[in-house]
Amino acid sequence: MNTHETEASWPPPRSQWLRYWSAAPAEKAETLAAEIAGHCDVRDITLPQSGLGLLKLPDSALNDLYFLGEVPVSHAHVEVIAPDGTRAEGGARLLDDRRSLARALAVLDATLAARLPHHEQALRLLETGRATLQETEASRNAILTSTRVDFSLLGDGSEDDDE
Amino acid sequence: MGYVAIKGGGKAIEGAAEALEALRAGGSGSDPLSLNAIEHQLRLLTSRIMSEGGLYHPQLAALAIKQMQGDTLEAGFALRAYRSTKPRLLETPPQDTGNMRLIRRISSAFKDIPGGQMLGPTHDYALRLMRFELAEESPEPFRRMASTFLKNAPEEALPDSFPKVLDSLRSEGLLPPKATNRNPAFDITRDPLIFPVSRSAALATMARAETGSMLAIAYSNMRGYGDIHPTVAELRVGYLPVMLPHPVTGELTEAGEVLMTECEVIAMYEPDESESAKGAAPEFTLGYGACFGHNETKAISMAILDRALQKGMRDGPENPSEDPEFVLMHIDGVDSMGFANHYKMPHYVTFQSDMDRLRSTREKYGERGETPQEESHES
Repeated sequence: MNTHETEASWPPPRSQWLRYWSAAPAEKAETLAAEIAGHCDVRDITLPQSGLGLLKLPDSALNDLYFLGEVPVSHAHVEVIAPDGTRAEGGARLLDDRRSLARALAVLDATLAARLPHHEQALRLLETGRATLQETEASRNAILTSTRVDFSLLGDGSEDDDE
Repeated sequence: MGYVAIKGGGKAIEGAAEALEALRAGGSGSDPLSLNAIEHQLRLLTSRIMSEGGLYHPQLAALAIKQMQGDTLEAGFALRAYRSTKPRLLETPPQDTGNMRLIRRISSAFKDIPGGQMLGPTHDYALRLMRFELAEESPEPFRRMASTFLKNAPEEALPDSFPKVLDSLRSEGLLPPKATNRNPAFDITRDPLIFPVSRSAALATMARAETGSMLAIAYSNMRGYGDIHPTVAELRVGYLPVMLPHPVTGELTEAGEVLMTECEVIAMYEPDESESAKGAAPEFTLGYGACFGHNETKAISMAILDRALQKGMRDGPENPSEDPEFVLMHIDGVDSMGFANHYKMPHYVTFQSDMDRLRSTREKYGERGETPQEESHES
């Protein structure tokens, strides 16, 4: 899925939030999460962890399952309790070593999901991440468009090179 | 004879480590390599270390390259050692490589593949002539290179994922059907290979094997010790989005992406004379290769070996590349490098024993007045 949502589809569904926040600067996410924790009570439902995950793929020839290798994984699951008593759960699983980042994104996830105080900043950070992802997409698109092969037959006038 | 404790080795070993670091610095006052520079400017090397280390971690792969001063086998070893210290948190659900965000996609089977062919970043069409201007590269043009490329690229929005070439052949019934009843994937990091092994174990072993070892055995098949005669149906390089269940909603959520190379080869059909296949129309056969990072030689070699091993598993091996034990036990870089290098370790006792045996044999020949024949020597 690319990141060119229409304004009507903004904000993106929750399943896209982690992707966008992960693309934003990690220190911004951690600073915002700390700010939220200054106003709300943040409790770990499970302790943040980091380690590895086995990446499982079906081979695309015969569909047998196999492991391509391992990826770094961090995980956090928190509950955020706002000053008015509103509670919200948030979680994050990332291909990243940093537990602190996973916990920060879990806090943002809870905050935005329940529209808790500071959720506007969490939303703005989504936009920051989206902009970064769009730059990445543009550079990958440039690779594809610049190297697309034109198999038009030589001599039919559609090629201007001098082969 | 027993082992003899010696002293002084500790200092020599410390000195060896310091000498290694001194040579890394080069004594020239040059700046240390940044991990970012290694990861991007030596991206194919970083790719290789990630796949041979079995861990997708570009920054750590770059660190391993720096620490091991470019020794690919040692760098892969360091990455494996690192991974062995980390807890295993999860096993991902099966990820669909049809969702890869591609930067390269070619086929040697058809020119008109759905979505078109994109050469992407490749040396395939480059002259292998030295570009001496890189020896004294100016930083400013170097930094502008990416933005200039982006500015000059045709303005056209292409999709970031494309259908698989094999799907069109499969829809014509020319390929074997995909397995619907799949066995669990085999974890080579926890379970030993005990032959006969499943195809899943073979694929995982090859995915983290050493590139040169795989190429050598696959090349033996290409040259004549085998008869795969592959056609590359599709070779693709791109970023696979890895989807994991969200801790709260359980919905599959993108946790990150992994650069990988994937290759499917088509081999000529073979008559299947088994009872179960009687009356069935002949089909092409397939081989599959994939690895972390951008490493096309490895993915193609793996696909050829996968196809060769399928034949060997079915009919019995006729060539080394069709023998699962021969292939899978000799392609791991850490294993083979470790065994080769262990010969540098002290073998003083065993070699002393060899010398004693040779001396006593020569004495016996001398007593009998015979000329000693050459004796074999094995450690």
